[in-house]
Amino acid sequence: MNVQFKKGVLEICVLALASREDRYGYELAVKISEKFELAVGSIYPLLNRLTQEGYFSTYLRESSEGPPRKYYRLTPEGAAYMRHLVLEWHDFTRAVNEIIEEGIR
Amino acid sequence: MGELNRLLTIVPEHQRAEWLYDYELHFRMAAENGIPEEQAAAELGDPRLIAKELLLGYRVHQAEDNSTVVSVSRAVFATVGLGFFNLVFVLGPFIAVLGVLIALWAVSGALLLVAAACIWEGYRGEMFSLPQGFSLAAVSCGLGLLSGAGTLSLSRGFFSMTLKYLRFNTRLVRGGRA
Repeated sequence: MNVQFKKGVLEICVLALASREDRYGYELAVKISEKFELAVGSIYPLLNRLTQEGYFSTYLRESSEGPPRKYYRLTPEGAAYMRHLVLEWHDFTRAVNEIIEEGIR
Repeated sequence: MGELNRLLTIVPEHQRAEWLYDYELHFRMAAENGIPEEQAAAELGDPRLIAKELLLGYRVHQAEDNSTVVSVSRAVFATVGLGFFNLVFVLGPFIAVLGVLIALWAVSGALLLVAAACIWEGYRGEMFSLPQGFSLAAVSCGLGLLSGAGTLSLSRGFFSMTLKYLRFNTRLVRGGRA
């Protein structure tokens, strides 16, 4: 898939995945790369930035195997930000689809 | 992993540990899923680039909490590290405006010095009397304080604009949402 597409939507994917339940970094990377191929390295700086901006809080939780995992939880500001992004996304994709349909009809 | 740690030594220990934990976990999870270490490392990308990105976010954040010439300059230099584009479009204007600000500070300082000199001249010299010296001193002192206050608010404004621009610029360079 086009790289330019993916860069823009990674943020919205991460926020949306974390809105239903708290996630850890690797889980997010795996979930997203199931749907489309992804530069895994870009996910951690993104999580870091969103945390610094107050959209995520983090905590450690023991796991049955291996070391404690670092979970990311969406803060109320993060949830509001996600809803804002999703609305924008819907408007944007609808507009693009309309243009495409007009163009290739 | 070692390289990333080494590149980030300027960052306080607890912050660094928190960043690196994500990457450590990534390697462990990858190992559990049967992905060899080399492949996991390749997936994550160049440690130098990761370090630069992390550092930039950190510097900008730090400078926003406490805007001084030093912290803002550090943020600017962290941005410059991300590419040539930034060398031209970030560092150039930054140094130019910084130069103007320094000149304005010098003007304010000079006016205050003039005030002191006027008093001294009125007291000891022949050029003008003591009352004349004092009134000239009052005028130049007033001008000095005024321009000092103006420069201070200009500097503050300039720093906060710089930081806003750096944030915007990083997203642009990374190709994220601008």
